[in-house]
Amino acid sequence: MFFEGVDFSALELPPAAQALREEVRTFLRSELATGAFTPHLGHTEFDAAFTLKVAERGWIGMTWPKRYGGAERSYLERFVVTEELLAAAAPCAAHWFGDRQTGPSLLRYGSEELKQRFLPAIARGECYFALGMSEPGSGSDLASVRTRAERVAGGWRVTGQKVWTSWAHRAHAFFVLCRTAPDTGNRHEGLSQLIVDLAAPGVTVRPIRFMNGHHHFNEVFLDNVFVSDEMVVGEISQGWKQVTSELALERSGPERYMTTFPLLVELIRRMGAAPDARARELVGKLSARLWSLRRMSLAIALTLDPGRGAQQGAARAGPDLATEAALVKDMGTFFERDIIEAARLLAAVEPTPDATDTFERYLAETIVCSPVATIRGGTTEVLRTLIARRLLGALK
Amino acid sequence: MLVESLTRLLKDHVDQKLLVAAKQQGWAPELWRKLDEAEFPRVSLPEEAGGAGGTLSDLAAVLRVAGRFAAPVPLAETAMLAGWMLAASGLPVPRGPLAAGPAHGETVTARREGSHWILSGTLTRVPWAQTASRLVLLAHTTTEAIVANVDPRHCRIARGRNLAGEPRDAVRLEDVPAEQAAIAGPGVTQETFRLRGALARSLLMAGALERALELSVEYAQQRVQFGRKIGQFQAIQHEIARLGGEVAAAVAAALSAAGAMERGGDVTLAVASAKIRTAEAARDGALIAHQVHGAIGVTDEHALHHSTLRLWAWREEYGNEAAWSTALGQAIQEGGAEPFWPAVTAH
Ligand SMILES: Cc1cc2nc3c(=O)[nH]c(=O)nc-3n(C[C@H](O)[C@H](O)[C@H](O)COP(=O)(O)OP(=O)(O)OC[C@H]3O[C@@H](n4cnc5c(N)ncnc54)[C@H](O)[C@@H]3O)c2cc1C
Repeated sequence: MFFEGVDFSALELPPAAQALREEVRTFLRSELATGAFTPHLGHTEFDAAFTLKVAERGWIGMTWPKRYGGAERSYLERFVVTEELLAAAAPCAAHWFGDRQTGPSLLRYGSEELKQRFLPAIARGECYFALGMSEPGSGSDLASVRTRAERVAGGWRVTGQKVWTSWAHRAHAFFVLCRTAPDTGNRHEGLSQLIVDLAAPGVTVRPIRFMNGHHHFNEVFLDNVFVSDEMVVGEISQGWKQVTSELALERSGPERYMTTFPLLVELIRRMGAAPDARARELVGKLSARLWSLRRMSLAIALTLDPGRGAQQGAARAGPDLATEAALVKDMGTFFERDIIEAARLLAAVEPTPDATDTFERYLAETIVCSPVATIRGGTTEVLRTLIARRLLGALK
Repeated sequence: MLVESLTRLLKDHVDQKLLVAAKQQGWAPELWRKLDEAEFPRVSLPEEAGGAGGTLSDLAAVLRVAGRFAAPVPLAETAMLAGWMLAASGLPVPRGPLAAGPAHGETVTARREGSHWILSGTLTRVPWAQTASRLVLLAHTTTEAIVANVDPRHCRIARGRNLAGEPRDAVRLEDVPAEQAAIAGPGVTQETFRLRGALARSLLMAGALERALELSVEYAQQRVQFGRKIGQFQAIQHEIARLGGEVAAAVAAALSAAGAMERGGDVTLAVASAKIRTAEAARDGALIAHQVHGAIGVTDEHALHHSTLRLWAWREEYGNEAAWSTALGQAIQEGGAEPFWPAVTAH
């Protein structure tokens, strides 16, 4: 019913990918040793200098064609790099969106000019993207967005409001989903994706503080912002299809089950060599779930990689994969929570955000962020409806 | 190929009638004969041992399908355990249904009498002993491990069964001569036996969960209440989605563990993960399937219980999720925090 055609018993990382893993680990060890970054859980940190170093090693846009600054490596290799960065809680916010969503989207739908203009810059770690989908009135029901673009000579004038835009205050540009034609019944038509320069006249970015005071996301106001024709991604009116394939990419990776993983490692450290029976059982259970989730995520990465993938560069998260990605995300986000639960019940410490002890700090950081994983990137409820539709078909 | 032909065979032969009869009789001898003719019990045995020379992954695929159809035959014991012990110890593998033990770490002692090996011991809940033509046991002398094959008619068997009516028998051996015996081959240990047993149950459970999902989907597409198909209610949709996730995770874990065992090396993480994850999936999965079915699902006329009773039985066999989690957790804690991630990413 799921993972049709995937042979889990034969699924194994090739030696090249494991060799790459060692490279990434060596890099991360030396970064940690020199104090280049301090690992934090919760929202990934934004660190432009770190992103440059990752880029230098060819680990941003690594599956893309070389002519766009990529390395033409496989999705499995990308998977390895991603999971290593997550295991180390490395500060990747500057390039996550560009690497995972904007880049693949541009490769698939963007004009040659857009590809030339943005992909090499993203891969060099110099250009950061944000995603402008949600609006005050449009969350899960994304097709209801009201930001609209009006045709003018040489381009479009965009007016509207985006919200929850992660890192818009640091990014150079963002993908804006907007209406380019009025809704005349089929709400999935008339939507388009434009690239909006966040420094353009008419754009205002205002912080929305997270509950712990952190500045992670924003509201972005667009007031008659001019966007030239060249900045249209794909075809006008095809925005819906483009956005949904992007969402599938967002859901399938290790970032959907590994954001609290470093807390599990610290928990193991804290429980020591002679843990009580409850600690052993919980650690064993969580490990089994991690192992199983990883196998599924790996299977998805592999299917993105049909051999020729590297040459074509385009990510082909077909509709058949989208449900599996949703499954992994749904189960992964609950796994992340269960790590927090195990940690707090076993250690019984009062979570302290500025604790010097890493375990205690991680615990505090993950608790504060614990609600978000099941909301962003498709809420639990929306994902389950999507999964059920695949299983049940359209019932009349 | 293997999967398609087995699926066809089981689709044709395993129906409600056969399963109900098996509940009374303990198993389905006619079905066994068909599987035996098609060589399924010997898929993964080396050709020298009279097998088809397939891989452990081939056998894994077979067991998953057997679990899906709740096939009431000792395929897992014959192929994954008894056949393996014999072949790995250089002994011929007799045709016919085999049982294997000890499944619970009991001791079977072996001593030599002339050219014969004589076995003694008391075993609890040996799967399929009453239906087996031979019992294959891992026994011990004071210094050696022996694999031996005995005729169950020489043993005292007290019939028992699991929740699904599958035979789980007490077996007593009082100076029973072995038909054949040899020093246990490389890798044939209590520990590997338990790992393979757990893997076999994981694969069967993955299949049984798939069936529970299929039945739930079909039912939700048909059953009408309040003028709508119940599958149109979001509450039911979400339960089915959750069931789907559990099933996918169970299948991924069980088959991945089979691949890990085929490749060799330390398989504790893989097999423990498979047994833990499938048992967890069994817990939530079986109850979701029943919830979706309402009262009809709990009757003996409806097919669902063939899968769910097996899930509730199999999750306990060869170690339940608590036992495996505790063992795995112990191993991880002893290894320490740093080696943990490298172990997870070894494959
Ligand atoms: C940390 C964080 C970062 C984010 N970053 C970005 C970003 O960078 N760019 C961006 O565009 N967006 C971003 N988002 C927004 C995110 O995509 C939305 O939060 C998400 O789409 C849900 O929308 P909403 O918050 O408006 O909730 P709503 O859609 O209003 O949902 C509220 C509740 O109703 C439920 N619900 C809604 N519809 C249904 C239905 N049909 N059936 C059953 N239940 C339903 C939901 O599951 C949820 O429980 C971010 C969100 C978070 C938390």
